[in-house]
Amino acid sequence: MNLVRVLRSPRLALAVLGFVAAWAGVGAWLPWAIPGGRPPPGWARSLGLDHPFASAPFLCAVALLFASLLACTWGKRARIVRVQRGDLPRAAVLLPARPGADAAAFLETRGFRRRGDLWVSRRAGLWGGWVLHLGLLALVAGVLVQQSLFDTGLFELTEGESVRLASSGALRWRQHGLLVRGGPPEVEATLHWFDPWASQEGYAPDRLSQLGVAATGAEPVTAFLDRSAGLRAGGLSFFHAIPTGFSVNVDVPGMGRRSVHLQAAGPRLAVAEVEDPAGRPARFVLSSERPLDDPLGTGAIRVELDEGGARRPLQRGAAFRFGDRDATLLSVARWGQYTYARAPGMAAVYAGFLLVLSGCLLLLVPAGVARRDGEGGSVRVFVSRGAAALLAEWERAPSGGGALPAPREVA
Amino acid sequence: MESVLFWSATSGYAAATVASVLWVGFRRDGAERAARGLALLGLVAHAASLALRWEATGHGPYATRYEVISADVFLLVAVWLGAGLLARPLRGLAPIVLPVAFLGMGWALTGYGTRYTLPIIFRSYWLYLHIGFAKLFAATLLLSAACAAGYLLKAGDPRRLPSLPAAEQLDLYGHQLMLVSFLFLGVMIVAGSLWAAQGWGRYWGWDPIETSALVTWIVLGIILHFRVLHGWSGRRMAWLAFVGLAFGFATLFVVARVVPTIHSSYLVGG
Ligand code: HEM
Repeated sequence: MNLVRVLRSPRLALAVLGFVAAWAGVGAWLPWAIPGGRPPPGWARSLGLDHPFASAPFLCAVALLFASLLACTWGKRARIVRVQRGDLPRAAVLLPARPGADAAAFLETRGFRRRGDLWVSRRAGLWGGWVLHLGLLALVAGVLVQQSLFDTGLFELTEGESVRLASSGALRWRQHGLLVRGGPPEVEATLHWFDPWASQEGYAPDRLSQLGVAATGAEPVTAFLDRSAGLRAGGLSFFHAIPTGFSVNVDVPGMGRRSVHLQAAGPRLAVAEVEDPAGRPARFVLSSERPLDDPLGTGAIRVELDEGGARRPLQRGAAFRFGDRDATLLSVARWGQYTYARAPGMAAVYAGFLLVLSGCLLLLVPAGVARRDGEGGSVRVFVSRGAAALLAEWERAPSGGGALPAPREVA
Repeated sequence: MESVLFWSATSGYAAATVASVLWVGFRRDGAERAARGLALLGLVAHAASLALRWEATGHGPYATRYEVISADVFLLVAVWLGAGLLARPLRGLAPIVLPVAFLGMGWALTGYGTRYTLPIIFRSYWLYLHIGFAKLFAATLLLSAACAAGYLLKAGDPRRLPSLPAAEQLDLYGHQLMLVSFLFLGVMIVAGSLWAAQGWGRYWGWDPIETSALVTWIVLGIILHFRVLHGWSGRRMAWLAFVGLAFGFATLFVVARVVPTIHSSYLVGG
């Protein structure tokens, strides 16, 4: 019982909220969180500030916030119902009887209506806080589900290339929640067409791809994908990532068609370290006349194979010696990067937020409940906000009308 | 034409500022009406200038700092005029709101720039909700702080500035406006998160601006708790309203200038 009392304490709620705000505020400004920033110092690591939003202090604070919210929201419904029935809380104020002034008429000019023994004004507003906090609970619960069950990964494709996400080495990285079992989704993605600098009216040139997705047991989907919106297919969402680069597509006897993805090693230079079919290290080197990322074009491109210390230029469509075989350079193309994502908790997160916003809307409704206090004509009023202003207005209200009439029963 | 209208709006706000000061200083009711009338004229010219620019650039007022701040001022004046229709006493905030609007127009000019093409991520309906509510949040938070400033002026001596509502009323309006700004900031955060999910496949990335918006939302929650759970009101609440304003201002105008964020291109750039 004591624990519940501690958890329900407004001081604890404020302290936890203050901590979460301060931690998040610090986390947003950390120099090592900025891309290319310096590495975190030792003291920051020991405090968990090297990854502030996945650190123990932050996660404990969120858990405590959840417990505190639960304790505050629990039982609140019954209290609101009691207020609606006239069992007014301590925050209610007394409009003292004033000779010649009619408190009922005064309240009625402020939107109160008689209901049985009571005068009430827009009771829905009393529920704002409860709905808001219920929403916060749903939101935190949704985040927990999401963090436990999300699954996301990054893959790279060049035009004409296909990849099975579950095959080994298909993903450049994968992250998933603690409760996700098994490997990446059984989905095959194919890049049919890709332009890293596609122009769309009104927008700066950007990535545009035509991606095909085939999940086992589902209809294959082919659609255009740019960086403004994802593509839903096979129970997953696919998104375009920014990085792009060149690939050399080769046909190697006995190994089939292969796409070698090169990484930039300078503004006009890209390389890929590979193992040739004989198991020896080799490098594909691509150099261009103009910068590789120039949207207006790269100018002439030269591809070479660097093997055993010798560098040989390669010609499109021509055979070249690659390890112990004669391979063919089929084409030079661009690769694009794509992420897949599964986000099962987000429905609860957004349902929570919808409740939070509805609660906020209800809070804006100025609610109140009033009842007679003793026989002298005083009235006790609870208003969701503005008690001081109401009291001041009552004190300033001109005298007139009769005494507070006895309330009538309402059927 | 667009710049003629922009300057007409600025002049309207300047003249309205002068009228509101005359109203406060000389208690002439005619000056109050003139202040609102001039502000409304300024607003109409402002709307036309924003519309012409929208037409010319092909996108809304969210691509350069000039457009962002100009639209912020537009919504501030519009929200204040609208609030004055719903709650007459809020018209008394004229001498606080109108100078801010006038100075805001000057500030917008310092970031003048035109951009015809936008990043492709801007092609989303969430953008309108996200940006619209960011501006509504700024306007209502500023009005809440204006109520707090009015409260502090009136609380010492209720006879001071009779054009302003009574201190308790300002305290109440300040609270209500802060609740509204809390709601608007909430919508802005959700819309931003849905937008990020639509384009990038991630709902939340702890980007400095995202995080600052969340921190501001929590800070407003804390301030509202002080009022509801600890019964704080009056002076203490008025000062806390300025704290809320400082957080909101920092989120919207400062963070992007200090740390690199995905929002830098239009919040900082000209
Ligand atoms: C992220 C966390 C939270 C946020 C954003 C939040 C926000 C709010 C807001 C905006 C209000 C309404 C204030 C008003 O009427 O002006 C409120 C009221 C309240 N909060 Fe919270 N709150 C949070 C967590 C908590 C926790 C942990 C507790 C537990 C002690 C709590 C207890 C209350 C209570 C009892 C009220 C009054 C409710 C009513 O009038 O029905 N809140 N909160």
